[in-house]
Amino acid sequence: MASYIQAQNLALTFRPKNRDPVTALQGLDLEVGKGEFLSLVGPSGCGKSTFLNVLLGLLKPDGGDIRLDGKKITGPGQERAMVFQEFGLLPWRTVLANVELGLELKGVPASMRHQRSSELIKLVGLNGFEHHYPHELSGGMKQRVGLARALATDPDVLLMDEPFAALDAQTRDLMQLELLQIWDRAKKTVLFVTHSIEEAAYLSDRVIVLTARPGRTKSVIKINLPRPRDYEMRLTADFNDIKATIWNTLKEELIARTGYGA
Amino acid sequence: MALKEIYTEYQRPILGLASVAGLLLAWELVLTYLIPVNPFFFTKPSLIATAFREQVLGGRLSHDLIISSRAFLWGFSCAIAVGIPVGVLMGWRRRAEYTLDPFLTALYASPLIALAPLIIVVFGVGLVAKSVLVFLLAVFPFIFNAFAGVRSTDRLLINVVRSFGGKERDLYFKVILPSTLPYLIAGSRIALGRGLVGVIVGEFFAASEGIGFAIARFGDTYQLPEMFAGISVLMIIAVVVTEGMRKLEAVLAPWRVGQEAR
Amino acid sequence: MTRLVQIYTEREHQILGGGFILLLIIAWESVPHLVTLPRALSLFFTTPSKVSETFYELVVQNEFQTHFYVSAVEFLLGLGLAILAGLPLGLVMGRSSVVDAMFDPYVTALNATPRIVFLPLLILWLGLGIWSKVMVVFIGALFPLLINTYEGVKNVDRVLVNVVRSFGANEWQVMKMVVLPNSLPYVVAGLRLAIGRAILGVVVGEFYGATKGLGSLMAKAASAYQVDVVFVGAAIFMGISLIFTLTVKRIEANLSRWRPDVVKTF
Repeated sequence: MASYIQAQNLALTFRPKNRDPVTALQGLDLEVGKGEFLSLVGPSGCGKSTFLNVLLGLLKPDGGDIRLDGKKITGPGQERAMVFQEFGLLPWRTVLANVELGLELKGVPASMRHQRSSELIKLVGLNGFEHHYPHELSGGMKQRVGLARALATDPDVLLMDEPFAALDAQTRDLMQLELLQIWDRAKKTVLFVTHSIEEAAYLSDRVIVLTARPGRTKSVIKINLPRPRDYEMRLTADFNDIKATIWNTLKEELIARTGYGA
Repeated sequence: MALKEIYTEYQRPILGLASVAGLLLAWELVLTYLIPVNPFFFTKPSLIATAFREQVLGGRLSHDLIISSRAFLWGFSCAIAVGIPVGVLMGWRRRAEYTLDPFLTALYASPLIALAPLIIVVFGVGLVAKSVLVFLLAVFPFIFNAFAGVRSTDRLLINVVRSFGGKERDLYFKVILPSTLPYLIAGSRIALGRGLVGVIVGEFFAASEGIGFAIARFGDTYQLPEMFAGISVLMIIAVVVTEGMRKLEAVLAPWRVGQEAR
Repeated sequence: MTRLVQIYTEREHQILGGGFILLLIIAWESVPHLVTLPRALSLFFTTPSKVSETFYELVVQNEFQTHFYVSAVEFLLGLGLAILAGLPLGLVMGRSSVVDAMFDPYVTALNATPRIVFLPLLILWLGLGIWSKVMVVFIGALFPLLINTYEGVKNVDRVLVNVVRSFGANEWQVMKMVVLPNSLPYVVAGLRLAIGRAILGVVVGEFYGATKGLGSLMAKAASAYQVDVVFVGAAIFMGISLIFTLTVKRIEANLSRWRPDVVKTF
């Protein structure tokens, strides 16, 4: 069975001006099934975000093949949307106008846009804030706007680049729960990049550990916890075993990258 | 290819230099071979260069520059001596700010140069009038930047120094002064430009010497190459000093004050 | 009594500031009544009331209006040309690094130099009519507009461009949705600075070589020791400058509602 998202032998090197070239990806193979929740973990700089950007269509790989539903990815498309780590909200637009962004570019008429956006704003728990500006919102609220915006165009694939990294621990836990609920209802394919093993294990069906730069798949760990997952599951022994498995794999890469002793 | 690398590395200065060299070359060639130059109207780079050599390196212009600098330095030093204390006072004491701010803001926003004829009539022709003009124009950037600098001092740092037993003078020297310094440098840059205007205007009217006067007189006597040479000298000095101050600012402060940030 | 104290604490800023200005005006007015000025100084001294009288006379004789009209035309023409040239050029320079590199030396040199040093040259070329003044205004106003537009375009957040692109925007839509809204506050601030420079250009241009215009009126009056007239001119220029600056600042504030507190810039 060909996977929904398929990356084969992906390679990408950055060539910044006045600096040495950086090979972010080299020989990366990866598969994602439809409707799956997949997390990517790996040491800093291993190319996780780069891979997401390739999937999004903003970066072109130097070599290898990347396909969505059998078709080659050549640029951005409506079936994929990203939730950015730095939020990326247009500061001069209100919350409502921000959420509408994708719909606006699609040419959806105003009244339909407003309706859909309002629904999503309610979904992420921000109703009442439609006419606020981003600078008036907290980090968690901004990220929810980002999520609403990504969901607005009803993409099949949701790409999330460390979306909760800038949030405090409580907000983070809350957002994780909300994300799972939304995912469960909407049945989207999610690719989730994170530094947190706990987060990856809690949210995903599978966790892929990447090697240090240049990134390659090191190991694939299946999470056999039942769904729906509640917070208490994080306190079980099974969960700890899973975390340990991931950590042991990741540890090698971290040592390779930083030279830290075990 | 080594040439290509040099180009990418130094693209900006290379293009800039090429642009200027191209213009000068075209200017010279067109006026030498295509259009006969009317000496009462225009001139060419070669003639300007000759005039430059004659006048600047041992002619009127070097003498005039010294005269102008004297007036400038007098006015500028007074501007510093008055402007910074006033600005600091306004920053330190709210009442002082409330009292002085509307008045000073109104003056700053007005073309004070409109008072030039009056000043010249009152103070006569010469050093005093020019210095007064320079002072009037240069004092305001110092006032407002000193004010902004003091205001922007992080209260937290003051508390830190106090908590280690710092007295009033410690606060001034260890926190407020270093914190204000970048603002003062930026203020100097702005004040410099405005002060230059004061000298030139003063000399256009009311002087028998000085670079502004020289340029005006060259114009009156249709000595175009000399006039262009004088303008070039002024340009070079202005650019060197302004860019020098920008470099200094960049070293002392990573952020930028004001919106003319180039 | 407490009511007064309450009003005072609420509006302390305006009361102290306005009061100070009022005090200065009153002090100025009363000087000749309080002290006898030495002969030399009394030649140059005038009071606000005398200045107002002179203003009234000038208006009645229609002399003020004629000169004001000339100055206004010079101002508007020069500023208009600066906007037409500065905004597109700033945009292009901001988007294209090649154009930026090629024009940069000229912009840096001309921006650092006091524009009035070109005045004798401009008079040589364009005579004493309005065009030499229009050119001085143009050169003065061009650079704040150009540089600020450039900065606004250049400082666009890369992340935002990527965000909009990821939703399928083409180059034109990127411009419209990200670059232009981002640049707007910069451009308006540039306009504010440009207006100040433009007025300066009118003033100095007319001082130096003109037969008509408010500045030339002032210059002639100064050499005839008609201090009142000079003050009228100065006050008008200053007043207009203030009105424009405050209006534009108001517009800037309205446009910047989405910005967190920006550092006050001069």
